Amino acid sequence: MYRIFILILTLTTVLTADEARLIIQKVDNNIRGKNIYMKISMKIVSLRHTRSMQMENWSQGSKKSFVKIVYPPKDRGITFLSLDNQMWQYVPKIERTIKIPPSMMLQNWMGSNITNDDMVKQSSIVEDYTPRIVKREGKLVTMELIPKEEAAVVWAKVVSLIDISTYTSQKDIFYDEEGEAVRVFLYDKVKKFGEYYLPTYWRVEPMDKDNSFTEIILEDVKYDISISDQYFRKSALKRFSR
Amino acid sequence: MFKLIVKMAWKNSFLRLSRTLLVIIMIAVSMSMMLGIQGLYDGMADTMIDKNRRSGSGDVSIFAKGYRVNKDLQYRIKNADELSAEIKKIEGVKELVLRVKAEGLLSTARKSSFASMQGIDLRAEESFGDFSEFLKEGEINLEGQGALIGLELAKRLKVTIGSKLVFSTQDSSGEINSIALRIRAIMQTTNIVLDTNAIFIDAKKMHRFLGTDSSEATQIAIMTADKKTNDLLKANFSDLDVKSFLQLQPMMKQMQDVMIIFNSITFFIVMTVVFIGILGVMYVSVLDRIREFGIAMGIGMQYRYIRIQICLEALFVGFIGYLGGALLGALFLLYLRDYGLDLSAFSDALEMWGYASTIKGTIKISYFTTTFAAIISASLFSVFIPLRKIKRLNPIEVIKAEK
Amino acid sequence: MFRFALKNILFYRGRSITTFALTFISTILFIVYVSMMDGSHKSMLENALKVYTGAIEIYHKDYRDIGGNEYLIEDVKAITNKLSTIKGIQAYTTRYETYGLLSSKEHSAASMLAGIEPEKEKDLSSIARALREGEFLDEDSGNCLYMGKGLVEKLKLKLGAEVSFIGSASDDSFAAEIFKLCGVFKTGSSEFDSSVSFVNRTYFDKVMYTDNKASYINIKLDDLDNVDQVNEKIINILNDESLESLTWKTLMKTMVEAMEVDSIFGYISLALFLVVIFFVIMIYGFINVSSRIKEFGVLRCIGLCRADVFSLLFYEIVILSSLAVALATPIAAYICYYYSINPIVIEGMSEMYKDYGIVSDEIPFDFNLLTISWNLGVIYLLNILSVIYPYFYINSFRPIEATRHV
Repeated sequence: MYRIFILILTLTTVLTADEARLIIQKVDNNIRGKNIYMKISMKIVSLRHTRSMQMENWSQGSKKSFVKIVYPPKDRGITFLSLDNQMWQYVPKIERTIKIPPSMMLQNWMGSNITNDDMVKQSSIVEDYTPRIVKREGKLVTMELIPKEEAAVVWAKVVSLIDISTYTSQKDIFYDEEGEAVRVFLYDKVKKFGEYYLPTYWRVEPMDKDNSFTEIILEDVKYDISISDQYFRKSALKRFSR
Repeated sequence: MFKLIVKMAWKNSFLRLSRTLLVIIMIAVSMSMMLGIQGLYDGMADTMIDKNRRSGSGDVSIFAKGYRVNKDLQYRIKNADELSAEIKKIEGVKELVLRVKAEGLLSTARKSSFASMQGIDLRAEESFGDFSEFLKEGEINLEGQGALIGLELAKRLKVTIGSKLVFSTQDSSGEINSIALRIRAIMQTTNIVLDTNAIFIDAKKMHRFLGTDSSEATQIAIMTADKKTNDLLKANFSDLDVKSFLQLQPMMKQMQDVMIIFNSITFFIVMTVVFIGILGVMYVSVLDRIREFGIAMGIGMQYRYIRIQICLEALFVGFIGYLGGALLGALFLLYLRDYGLDLSAFSDALEMWGYASTIKGTIKISYFTTTFAAIISASLFSVFIPLRKIKRLNPIEVIKAEK
Repeated sequence: MFRFALKNILFYRGRSITTFALTFISTILFIVYVSMMDGSHKSMLENALKVYTGAIEIYHKDYRDIGGNEYLIEDVKAITNKLSTIKGIQAYTTRYETYGLLSSKEHSAASMLAGIEPEKEKDLSSIARALREGEFLDEDSGNCLYMGKGLVEKLKLKLGAEVSFIGSASDDSFAAEIFKLCGVFKTGSSEFDSSVSFVNRTYFDKVMYTDNKASYINIKLDDLDNVDQVNEKIINILNDESLESLTWKTLMKTMVEAMEVDSIFGYISLALFLVVIFFVIMIYGFINVSSRIKEFGVLRCIGLCRADVFSLLFYEIVILSSLAVALATPIAAYICYYYSINPIVIEGMSEMYKDYGIVSDEIPFDFNLLTISWNLGVIYLLNILSVIYPYFYINSFRPIEATRHV
């Protein structure tokens, strides 16, 4: 869970090559090793149905993460724990803790449009891509990011539209090897948290499915709060499920 | 005397030219077709078995205990390089190759599929099983991000030469790790498991990616000279999982057996009918000359010389037919061996079952030797009945008789 | 001419008998071999179909390509009501398939879980018969799970053990349930057995919110040969652009091609036999004719024209082949018929070839009058062709020469 946010954060702050790298590294360094609490709303819309979820997330560094679903009531109390590279899930309805095998972790996450690629990536965007400015229009800069040859990313190209007044991205388009757009990330409602700007509304749309998208709204973000170690133990799954 | 008989037999064989020619043509055409079919079927079976051995397990494969069931990296042979050195010293071991394999997810921007990534040493694989022969498209090059992909897997992911892929799996420390790959070549091993699931990269790269040591391997594949060596290997390395090719792929042996049965039945039926053909002609030709034989015997010619003459006649026809058949058959077989039967209209099905879409035949000496024996026997047996007729002849009656 | 031909046949017994025998044998061989080939293909197909795929399956468009909950069939009852009006459909059933994680105490594995209608499945597929331990499902099975042997071994389960399931429901929300292992099956296909489990639909629908929905509808026909006509009827009655009705020919395209390849090889071998037999018949005909050169010479001298000579030869061969065929066909047909009802059983064949999808030890023959007819046609044609060369040979002699022939 945590890693998606790293990806998106770093994406939003890409500028020119050197400037970009400096800033991203700062952001990277700052976020790593910190404790973060977030309350998130997610809406998944597909051809047939719409599904809304709300969850709370506690993270410590990049290896420990605890997620609790709080809405809808049917799913309330489902918890996930990600510790180093293992993942567990607790489902109150059947009162069972289940270990998720790595192969499952590589699949589409909870039916949303976020893929395995996002979950699994370990290197940051600065290391994997070579950025290039394509166009400047007032405070909007269009950047083209080409992945490096050894970078373990499936995209052939990412095009970002960046607002340099807040250093956040408004739109990211991901392209495949044939030059076709596969999905689009849209960002809006930028707010300031501490020293950084963060869009609090995200939308992921796949280009090959009509009327299908995932929306994420950050309702609450707190940095540097103290998070008890209790959250990152297996016992947390059941205990904090209530 | 003998020379005379030979000469007479020769001349008599060609007395009725059309008739003799017909028989010769019949033998030649039937034989060559049969040879062609045998070569094709044997070729199919042999090719498949051979390719399976060369791309897969070799004659014998060694795994760590538990690997074949769990396919997990923790079940790997830790001191594979030491073992290899030991094994190479055993007499009867011809070639050896180490492989490191990991199961994981292979993804493009649009599609993902479970796959098996194998780290191989190109040079070792080349001398082990002529690996470069499996190349279907592209160029074998494992430098940089280079990877070689199995044909069916490429179809499933809809990738081609130059496509970029990402492979993710758990490495030896349990972490999920990903690696970028560029397809440099598409391979067709006709080993179904490999063609539908495998992607090959350089062994050193694989070790670095998985965090394993280059002295480790998940499989040691060995080519041996004979069965004795296989048993020796099993005895010496009993703490590991040592399996022979037939144990890993019992289907192959059954396929071979079925082919043998099928070819034998075809052979038998064809030879029987050929026999009937020769019989008819010899019978009639003897009957035509019954007066001659009667007179010859009447003036003192011994029966056994006549018998020799008629046998020779049959042998001449059979032998010339055989030569024609052998020539035509050899041409057929050579064509099938070098160009093969083109069934590319059915390539989807063939590839799914592990066959190449062009089927090549083999040539075996046994084709020619067994057919030779069969035709000669058919020729000799065919004169049995006519000879009996002659034997019972009463010369006087014959001279008087009308045809 | 006809009576003349008849007399000749009776007179030249040697040739007549041999030609008769050869035609007789080749007819039986041809008919029986083709029937066996067709029969074994049909049975391979039926067996493959019986395991899980249907003769016809109805899907929502794009389900097969993309899959997922977006392309489920909604309002299945409306469709099945229409299906029950179509003749030719023997049985149908609806299935809901989903992928999820099954976990035992210590192990987890990804699996396909299929909600089925147990009573209908018994008629339609062979999964009920593949039972090895425990029991198959029924209407009241509740949370009973019917699992493949490979999967049971992966999860190290015993009968009666609890298995938890997590996955996504048909609206993509979380789904979780505890099941109990009630039965174990083994179809022989190791891939199938290690990745599939079945559960009663009535129960599963509540967990997955799939009441009156389905991934697809599986249809069994009275007669496999009518598959295309019945499919046409289905498409017409459904009259819905968003649905597709597919026959096994599309669903199992590679199997169809594999059977075609097998047929080609079969026909190549048959061709070999027929060529050899053709030659021998021709040789006997030729010998017979060449021994009658004087006779033909005389006939030509007394006024018989070339056309008549040809008719004579023609009648001779036709009479002989007709006799042979008339005798051989009933025998061959009976053999085909008998073995189509009581197939040949080769013990252990299914064990050997199970990886290629062969699950039965039987080789049934195919009894089909159309096939037999064209087989006969070929035999007749070959026989008639065999007199062409002898005919030309005869005509190369001038009548006077012929009468002097030795």
